[in-house]
Amino acid sequence: MTNLSSKNGAGMIEFRGVNKWFGQLNVLKDITLSVEPREVVVVCGPSGSGKSTLIRCINGLETIRDGDLTVDGQRLGDPATNMTRLRTEIGFVFQSFNLYPHKTALENVTLAPIHVRKIPRTEAEKAGRELLAKVGLADKVDAYPAQLSGGQQQRVAIARCLGMRPKIMLFDEPTSALDPEMISEVLDVMVAVAEEGMTMMVVTHEMGFARKVAQRVVFMDAGAIVESGTPDEFFSNPKTDRSRAFLSKILRH
Amino acid sequence: MLENFSFRTIVEYLPLFGQGLVTTVWLSVLSFAGALAVGIVLAAMNLQRGRLFRVPAKAYIDAVRATPLLAQLYFLYFGLPRLGFVLPELVVGILALSLNSGAYVAEIIRAGILSIPRGQVEAGVASGMTYVQRMRLVILPQAFKVTIPPLLGQAIVLVKDSALLSLISVAELTRAGQLLASDRFMPAEGFITIAAFYLLLYYGLKGLAALSGRWLGLAGART
Repeated sequence: MTNLSSKNGAGMIEFRGVNKWFGQLNVLKDITLSVEPREVVVVCGPSGSGKSTLIRCINGLETIRDGDLTVDGQRLGDPATNMTRLRTEIGFVFQSFNLYPHKTALENVTLAPIHVRKIPRTEAEKAGRELLAKVGLADKVDAYPAQLSGGQQQRVAIARCLGMRPKIMLFDEPTSALDPEMISEVLDVMVAVAEEGMTMMVVTHEMGFARKVAQRVVFMDAGAIVESGTPDEFFSNPKTDRSRAFLSKILRH
Repeated sequence: MLENFSFRTIVEYLPLFGQGLVTTVWLSVLSFAGALAVGIVLAAMNLQRGRLFRVPAKAYIDAVRATPLLAQLYFLYFGLPRLGFVLPELVVGILALSLNSGAYVAEIIRAGILSIPRGQVEAGVASGMTYVQRMRLVILPQAFKVTIPPLLGQAIVLVKDSALLSLISVAELTRAGQLLASDRFMPAEGFITIAAFYLLLYYGLKGLAALSGRWLGLAGART
C-alpha cells in the first residue's frame, strides 16, 4: 500500500489512548484504534456506548481530553493542524441528514465545493449532477429536501460529501432515521462508495452491510472498545459476554 | 354631533398632514435601518461564547427594554446637550428610535439564529466552512425567513413610537394633528385624521411583508 495519503507511516485514522469526558461521564475510555487507507470499519454497540462520539472526534465535531488522534497524518489539537482544511478531506454523513432546506439537491452538493474548495461553479455543477446521477437521483437535482423522501435525502447527503472528493467518509447511523423500505437504497450507495476504495468508518447496526464490505467490526460498550475482528469472526464467534448479549438482541429478528 | 365635525378643515390641512406623513415615513425608514444595524451587531455580540462581548450586549438590551422610550428620548434631547453633545432634534429622534428598537431587533435576530437546528451548523462545519461562510451560506438565509414576521411587528411598533418625536417638535404626522388641534381647537378632526394615516402605514407595511414573504417562498425556503 502506498504511503502517500498517510504520513508518518501511520494509519489514515489513528487513535492512541484517547479519552473524553462529558462532565463526570467518561464517554471514551482509552481508545486505541488504527484505520488503514481504503479500509472499511463498522462500529457497533449499544446506545450510549460512545460510537457516535468516537467518529465525531475524527473531524473535530467533538474534542478529546487526552491521548493522540491523528487523521491523514495530522494530529488533532496540534496548533499546526488546520482543522477547517482537514475537514474538507473528511465527509460526514449524519443520522438526520442535515441537508440545507433552503437549497436544492444540486445546490446542497455544490455549496461547499464552490465556496470552500473554490471550484468554478460550472465545473462543480457538472460534477454535482454526475454525483446525483450516481446515487440514483438524476431526476431530483432541482428538488428541495422537503420534497424528497428520507432515503433520497440521505443519498443527497452522501453525494454532498463525495462532492468534496474526501479521503475519508464517516457515517453516523446513516439508516437509523429511515423507514425500513428505504434502508437498502442508502446501503447500496454506501457499498458502491466502499467498493471504490474509500476509507470509511460506519456506525451502524446493519450487519448485512458489515458482512458485505467491512474488513473489521469494532464493538464498543460503555465508552471502551471491547472487541474487534473481521465480520465473520465477530458475528459467528463473539468473544465477550457483552458482545454476545448485544448480538443476540439485534440478530433476534 | 357630527355637524360639529369639519371635513373641510381636514381637507384644508391635508398638505400639512401630507408633509407629516412623508416625514414619519422617511424617519421611520432611517430609524428601522439603524435599528437593524444596531440589532445585528448586538445579536452577533450576544451569540459569542466569550463574556467580553456578551455581557455588554445583554446589559444594553436590558437597560433599553427596562426603561420607557420617552425617558430615553428626553435623556438624548435634554440630557446630551448638558454633556456637550448638541444635535438637531430630527437626528436625536432617529437616534433614539434606532437605539431603542435595535435592542428588540437584536433579540428577534438572536432568536431567529438560535431557531436553526444545531445539525445545520454541524453540516457546515463538517464540510470545512469557516464561521463566516456558515453564517452567510447556511444560517442567516434560513434565520432571515423566520425573522420576517417578528421584524414586521417591530417595524409597526417603531412607526407608532415615532409619534413621540412630536414631543421634541419634530414635524411628523402626530405633530400635524396637534397643530390642527391647537390652532383651530379641533382635536377630533386632527387626531382621527392621523389615526387614519397610521392605519394606512400599517397596511403598507403588511403588504410589504407579504411581498417579501412570497419572494422568499419562491426562493424555495420551505421546511
